[in-house]
Amino acid sequence: MVPSVTLLIPPGRRATEMMQVKARRTFWSRLAGAVAPIAVLAFSEVSVSAQTASDFAQNLNPLFQGVLARPGNLSNTLQYAVGASQAGDIESAISTYEQLLFYNPKLSRTRFGLGVLYYELGSYDMARGYLQTALEMHDVTPELQQKIDDLLALIDKKLQPDQFTGFVQSGVRYQSNASLGPGSGTALASGQNFNSAFFARPDWNWFGTFGLNYVHDFETQSGETFEASFIGYDAQQFTLHQFDIGLMEVRAGPRFALAPGDVNGVTVKPYLVATGGLLADAPYYGGIGGGLTLHAKAGDISLDPYAEIVQQSFRNSTLYPLASGLGGTLSTYGFQAFEPLGSGLSWQARAAYAHASDQFAFDSYDSYAADIWLPWNVSLGGAGRPWTIIPTAGVTRWLYGAPDPTIDPLTTAHTTEWRVGLGLEIPIWEKFILATLVQYRDDLSNVAAFSMRDLSVTAGPSFKF
Amino acid sequence: MTIPKAIAIVFASAVMAAMPAVAQQVGTTTAVNPTSESTPPGGSTVALTVGARVVHKERIHTTPSGSAQLLFLDRSTLSIAPNTSLLIDEFVYDPNSGNGHMLAKLTEGAMRYVGGKLSHEGEVTFSTSEANIGVRGGTVTIIHGPNGTEVINHFGTITIQNGGGTIVVTRPGFVVTITNWNTPPGQPVRVTAAEIEHYIKYLTSKFGQNGGVAGLNNIQLAECGTSSTKACPEPPWLPTDTGENDAFQVIIQATQHATGTTTPPAPPHAPPDH
Repeated sequence: MVPSVTLLIPPGRRATEMMQVKARRTFWSRLAGAVAPIAVLAFSEVSVSAQTASDFAQNLNPLFQGVLARPGNLSNTLQYAVGASQAGDIESAISTYEQLLFYNPKLSRTRFGLGVLYYELGSYDMARGYLQTALEMHDVTPELQQKIDDLLALIDKKLQPDQFTGFVQSGVRYQSNASLGPGSGTALASGQNFNSAFFARPDWNWFGTFGLNYVHDFETQSGETFEASFIGYDAQQFTLHQFDIGLMEVRAGPRFALAPGDVNGVTVKPYLVATGGLLADAPYYGGIGGGLTLHAKAGDISLDPYAEIVQQSFRNSTLYPLASGLGGTLSTYGFQAFEPLGSGLSWQARAAYAHASDQFAFDSYDSYAADIWLPWNVSLGGAGRPWTIIPTAGVTRWLYGAPDPTIDPLTTAHTTEWRVGLGLEIPIWEKFILATLVQYRDDLSNVAAFSMRDLSVTAGPSFKF
Repeated sequence: MTIPKAIAIVFASAVMAAMPAVAQQVGTTTAVNPTSESTPPGGSTVALTVGARVVHKERIHTTPSGSAQLLFLDRSTLSIAPNTSLLIDEFVYDPNSGNGHMLAKLTEGAMRYVGGKLSHEGEVTFSTSEANIGVRGGTVTIIHGPNGTEVINHFGTITIQNGGGTIVVTRPGFVVTITNWNTPPGQPVRVTAAEIEHYIKYLTSKFGQNGGVAGLNNIQLAECGTSSTKACPEPPWLPTDTGENDAFQVIIQATQHATGTTTPPAPPHAPPDH
């Protein structure tokens, strides 16, 4: 009887692969040794070539074969552990880390590594177990303990039926153009006089913002949850109070796993959304609608496509007498994506198409927007938390449906906004950070009144939980 | 193909065909703490050592101080606790297609299985006297003792079936207890932190043991949050979810629709009418 593994490999291919292997591995020198080991070597190296053809992590195969042949070769086993982890082969990485734990159960870093890997697998109980036992080891450094404590806090939340995460931030902002309006020399093609209250003027404001995500885990085997998110924002201008603004947004709905048990499986969430806003300390707009979002993972990339429809209504006021024309249906289709990269770097992106079908054609528009963020954690040495640098860039293109008779009765506006920014998050204490952001916006439009530029500088303390 | 190479291939194949029991390697022993023993089919019981081949139909037994880890050709592993006996009943694996199957019998003790290619195909089954436990894509701890079998799902889909019925566990961190073959498996309940920590410590070396490989005194593995690896897990939060961007858009839109709607005030020093 021939070994079952060998039987399943096509004979012709096996011969070819064996020839390749022999050429590389000085087969003749092995033939000079004992007879039985030759057979075993030939058998095992067939597997090397055969796996290479089909395995996504091709470069791991020689290392894996090394672990099979010489598991006590620590250098090879360590390389395989690291390689498997970085290639996203989490289970192989876990297997190898647990192998290393057998060789020395006192090393906190091995246990921490296992905690992170089990976390990535969605096995939070095992992650917590390894992290807790890592803390019991004598070699744990303050820096490692900090990471363990952070991860344990995150895991503790995920193991609760009711989970809350969020942030609160406050601060001051300077804007070179707080109205986000055109320059003072701008004339309206319609012949009407420009309302000078909306010319570009600098101002400061105080702002406060918060975000809260709530997840209720029904603890069923199929993994249903109920999720709600709340976002609030308020800014009070120092001088230009016509731009005092307050916003609130709530989204809530159940989430279902389409493939229960698969940590990378797709989940789907239908949700309701309600929004509202004040402008110049008076009710300005409100909206209600619904949407559908998916969550999926492709390798390390998290992807959240969504579609949302919101019915909006705007209220006229003395300052904003035409606001009600903006009322209508806003449909948005887009996605968000996130991927952690090496060296403390990750990227987040968002792209969306929106169609606003408003009361008047000149208020209706199609827009295309894309933004990218590149958070980069930079360790400044020591046991402190890393600083985070966040370069950002984005663009939005608006295409309006008709000329606005009050602005330019002959020109249908199309505007492109470019925005770039640089954020810096400096850890202060525990979960408190100092968040700063410098951002520049440049709106270019074929209608002069819609063109503007703004430089804003924001700074303030933030608390994440 | 050169003649010496052809001879070597033919010779090696002939040797493999002539040694059916010996050549059926399905994996390697990657860690061993004494005393752990192995009984290959038709062979005598010997002490298990690091690097020893794991073969078809092999029985593994550990004493109260013994423990071991086995690595299989499909990259799955079995960590075997002290006081454990199991049989690698079947292991067939085609590395080309990833197809095959694995069947192991746990007759006593505890083990943790970390899945490989076969479990991703749903072709891995462990059996005890109380149940058959099918593993898809997963990682599982199985404990078998006088009071029955306990199955802790760490990842994947675990199907537990016996004469009393079938239950499927898909959530990590849930445990099912099966008391005997004819009683339906219990409902999944959350495993306690104490139980997890107990089996983490139980399914590896005790302090003072080294799994048969000495010299690992320090380690630098790929951990999160270092300069060479990915970021540690953090709560999901997009920088734009602060409402600030929405506020900017509202103001831009409001400004654009209010610029031409108000007559400016009269000049402060208008000339008198004549």
